[in-house]
This record gives sequence, C-alpha cells and structure tokens, in this order.
Amino acid sequence: MPDLISSDFPLTASQRTVLTAVLDTLLPASRDGEMPSAAEVDFTAYLVDQAEGFVAELAAILDELTASFADLPAAARHERLTEFSAGNPAPFRNLLTRVYDCYYQNDLVRTRIGVTTGAPFPAGNDVIAGDLSLLDPVIANSTRHRFRKPG
Amino acid sequence: MTDDVVDVLIIGAGASGAAVAWSLADTRMRIVCFEQGDWTQPGGYPTNSANWESQAFGPFNIDPNVRALDTDYPINNADSAVTVVNFNGVGGSTILYGAHFPRLHPSDFKVRTLDGVADDWPIDYDTLEPYFTQNDRMTGVSGLAGDPMYPPKQPPLPPLPMGLVGETVARGFNRLGWHWWPSDSAIISQPYQGRDRCLNLGPCTSGCAQGGKSSTDITYWPEAIRRGVELRTRCRVREITLNEHGFADGVIYYDAAGEERFQRAEVVVLACNGVGTPRILLNSVSARFPEGLANSSGQVGRNLMFHPFGIVQGVFDQRLDSHKGPQACCILSKAFYETDRSRGFVRGYNMQITRGSGPLSTAMAGYLSGTIPWGPGHHEAFRKRFDHVAGIGIVCEDLPEAHNRVTLDPELVDSDGIPAPKITYRYSDNSLKMMAHGLARGEEVMQAAGAISVSSAGPLAATGWHLLGTARMGNDPETSVVNSWGRSHDVKNLFIVDGSIFVTGGGVNPASTIQALALYVADTMKKNLANLFD
Repeated sequence: MPDLISSDFPLTASQRTVLTAVLDTLLPASRDGEMPSAAEVDFTAYLVDQAEGFVAELAAILDELTASFADLPAAARHERLTEFSAGNPAPFRNLLTRVYDCYYQNDLVRTRIGVTTGAPFPAGNDVIAGDLSLLDPVIANSTRHRFRKPG
Repeated sequence: MTDDVVDVLIIGAGASGAAVAWSLADTRMRIVCFEQGDWTQPGGYPTNSANWESQAFGPFNIDPNVRALDTDYPINNADSAVTVVNFNGVGGSTILYGAHFPRLHPSDFKVRTLDGVADDWPIDYDTLEPYFTQNDRMTGVSGLAGDPMYPPKQPPLPPLPMGLVGETVARGFNRLGWHWWPSDSAIISQPYQGRDRCLNLGPCTSGCAQGGKSSTDITYWPEAIRRGVELRTRCRVREITLNEHGFADGVIYYDAAGEERFQRAEVVVLACNGVGTPRILLNSVSARFPEGLANSSGQVGRNLMFHPFGIVQGVFDQRLDSHKGPQACCILSKAFYETDRSRGFVRGYNMQITRGSGPLSTAMAGYLSGTIPWGPGHHEAFRKRFDHVAGIGIVCEDLPEAHNRVTLDPELVDSDGIPAPKITYRYSDNSLKMMAHGLARGEEVMQAAGAISVSSAGPLAATGWHLLGTARMGNDPETSVVNSWGRSHDVKNLFIVDGSIFVTGGGVNPASTIQALALYVADTMKKNLANLFD
C-alpha cells in the first residue's frame, strides 16, 4: 500500500493509519486481483483536490473509530464499520460516497470496469443503432396500437 | 429607468420564454426578457471532468434547495409527496432535463368528453399541430415517423441509437405483443443547424458539454437575440404592477446587485413554470387583486399537477453498455396510455425506457438498495449490475385537484427577500392505482426481456420536473386564469405561456407541448396585434 503521509495533509499520522484501514475495509481488492483496494488509489490527492470540505468530517469519523481500528483483523474491522454505519448513517453514507467517488475516478479502476478514463467529454461513447426491424410486429399490429381519437 | 418602456416584457428565459421571444421577434417590437439566473457555460458542465457524477450531486443538483445558488429560490416541499426540481438560468430547466420529447396525445385535450374527468382544454391537438412541427424543427428533434399511437408526424432527424438496452427491452415488449417505439428526443442524432451530434456521453441531466442536447440557450435564444430580442440576466421579478385602468404596466425586480428597480412594459408575458408563475402572481397583490394578480377565479396556484413517477429495473446476464447514451431517451411504450376502465383507473401512463447510470451512481444506489454491499462482496455484485441494467420509467397522468397547490410560504424567502413558494400535494387514489399497474406491467416487460432479476419502486419523491396546471386555461373566467390563447381573463395585457396553463397533464414529459403552446400563444398574439386587448 502507498504511504499516505504527506507533510501538508491535514490528518494526523494516527488518523492516516486508520484511514488506510478504513479504505481497505470498505473496498478491499477483489479476490481475483483484478480490482485494487481503495487504499491503493490516491485518496489523499482526492481529498486535497476535490473534497477539502469533507476533511473535518472524515477526521471526526476516524477519531470515533479510534486508532485501534487499524490493528483489528479484517473481519473485525468489517464488523466495527457495520456498527458505525448503523449508529451514524449520514456520516457513513458521506464517507462511502467519497470513497466510491475517488475509487471510480481512478484510471485503472475505470479501465477494468470498461469505462472511458478521465472526462466523458469530448471522447464520448459509441452506441449501436439497434435493429429497427424489431418494430415489424408493432407496425403489423398498428390497428390495435392506435391512438384514441377524441372526436 | 421608469420612463423606459418596452413593448413586451417576458419573465423567464426557459423552455417557453425562449420560444415566445423567438416567435414575437417577427413583430419588430421592442422585446425584453428578464431571467433571474445566468448563462451557463458548456465548459463548466460536469462531463468536462472525471468527477462528473459527484458534481451532479452538488453544484448541478436538480434540486434547487440542494443546489442553493443565489440565482435559485428556495421551495418548501414539506407538505408535498413530490419534491420540485428545476434549473434557474438561460434555458431554464432544459439545461438539466432529460430531453425526452413526446407530444401530448389528441385524447389528452378532451378528458372530460372521453372519460368524464377533469376538464377539456379549450384547444385541441390539431390547434397545436403546426406549432409542434415548428418546435421540432427549431429544437432539432430526433425520432422515427410512423408511430401508430400518434397522428402522422415527421421528426426532422433520425432516431437516437437504441443501443443494447433498447433492443433488449424491445424484444420484451414484442414477446408480450405490446406497443413500443423509438422515443422522440430533443437531442440531435446528426449535425444540425451548426451544432454537432450527440456523443452519447450519458448524463444529460447535468447539462450537455457537447451541445447535442437541445436546451433553449443554444436553440431559440441565439436566434431570438440575433433578431433583436434583449435578454437581461440576473433580473429577478418580485411583482407585476397595475395601472389605474387595471392593465399591467411593468414589473418590480431586483438586479444583479440586489437593487430594487422598476421596468415599464406594454405587455407582460409570464414564462416561469408551474411554480414560478403562480409565485409571482400571488406576490403581486393590489387593491384590485388582494388574492394575487389575475386571480379573480381563485385558481392561481391550484390544480398543481406533476407526473407521478416510478422506476422498474431489470438486471441482465449480458452486458448492455447501459451507461452509454442519453439516459432518458431510448424507446417508449404507449401500451397503457389510453383509458381502459377495467384496469381500475382512468387515463394512463407512458413507459419510458431508460439506460443505466455511471459507476458512482451504480455503487451508491446498490448500497442504498442493498444490492451492492461495501466490503468483500462489492466487486462481484458491482460487476453483475454495472452496465447490465435497463430501466423503465412509469410516467403517470396526474389529474388536476384543487387542493394540490402552490401558495406563498409565510416565512421562507429568496436571497432578495421575495416570499418563496410552498407546495401542498398528495397523490390521488387514481394515480396510486395507475402507478401500481404500471410497475407490475414494467416488471412483466423486464421478465419477458430475459432479466435475471427485476425490482421496482414508485411513486418516487424527487421527481417533480413537470410543473403544470396552476394558472389553467379555459373559456370560463370563473374557473380558469387565462383564455384559450394564454391571455389573462382579468388583465388584458398579461399573458402566460408556460406549463401552468395546462388544463390536464397527459402522461408524457411536457416540454414539447409547453413550447408548442408558447409558439401558439405568440402566433395568436401576432394575429391579434390590432385588437390585442379587446
């Protein structure tokens, strides 16, 4: 896992350690190894660039979980976060939204799920036109599929 | 500024305001439009950034109470089953709309005659047909001629791609023998009038960076301005004033600096949607109209109609590339649009097939619905749903009821101190029966299409796009606010052209009909210029 510590990042060293464990618990790497853990994408840069307003709320969540969270085995961390989400639904939802937002912007993740990397515009997407001969039964039944005349 | 008189003052630069401004420009009169919001810059739309999905939750949120820009006004939805959504700026809600663009049906104008409910419109489909066609050309509508559920019409552009989502769901409709057809869409499938075609970016409801979606800031407004109409942004109207003869003589408004100003006008046209228009009328109190301007009937603000909306979702084994293409525009079905009393309700609904959403929305929706957990099972569940879903929106006709209404909140105000609207709304039994029927039929379609799992929900709250009926048209001044061409019964130089003049709402997205109505009112004004106030 990358080192989350940077000198200008507004979380304490202890909070950063807990954050890494939280990220890895919310989105661990997939069993087949194709999808990385959320702790492997650059959540730090995301916070600084896109979610500065969330840092204070995040710090409060990490403090609530306490430093011991990072030392728990994976199953116990999952259980602890489940308890936290039940008791703090709104903060947990905010946390999860931020983690997903960061994760699914990541180029590697997007490539693995089959989505264009970066901004959708101007690359856009190709979509098949579709087979309009599928309309044949509708047209054949156009006496039954008929708008209702008011007069 | 009080000596400065404009011939026509239009309030609101959205779907209807743009259309009426463009049409009235023929007259060479001095026409000015006041818009409380700003121009929106395509470079600022979310799809210019990798975080486009989260931007749609924040600064481009469809809910003005969440978006909370100083150009928005707050809305008290506490007493409403539906939350009003909109956008305030040049283009109005067309900036964020899904651009699904069906017309009302001929039967929608005659529900009293046909079904014994609500009221007939004083005009009919044939009255509006030339204006539907004119609006389709100005907008650049993509679609396919020949739908037997409509009188003949010819969209100017070929239909948008159905994609795998459309093909898959269409097969389900065919297996059931039910109607479906490619949707008419206010999105250009080919280059059109200087604009390049849709790029299938996906999230139309956070603005179109490409300009493939036909919001009125890029359709009507450039042409209207070129023809001499003046559009002033950041002008928020508080009230319309009257002279001693009972004619509107101007508006009191706040400029960008928050300064109170007065603008004189010979004719005032309201184009502020079914919530904004009654808000201004109710704020325009005088000795002659103590209950609000043009409100001798007591109907201003009443009969608020939305379209109760539900969603059916099918998950498929095969990948459908669901996140690609205009989310709200694909195919539709009118199989249950017309009344069949054996169903237990009157009138009917449209089935609007929708594509899927992006990864963030998929993951969060999966969390909230319990279908995609966080933790060890996330990736497997996500893979099964993302790009594997198709949706069917159930868009129900909502009949007018006097108790569903817009009033003024006694405390809530906007950033200029103008009283804000309060919504009072509950679903009728008819609507709830219709919704239950629609959700069940939608599930049948998904199963017939081969979905491995199907779910449905509705009616949903945050779906109040379609704001209709709060200043309805009619021939009787005692039961309606405007006459058959949008002129106030009470104030002869006051016109209303937005969705508030709908008598009934039909069961389809109303933007096409709103704009056709605005063009019709403008054309009727032009034909009656010599005796406009008689």
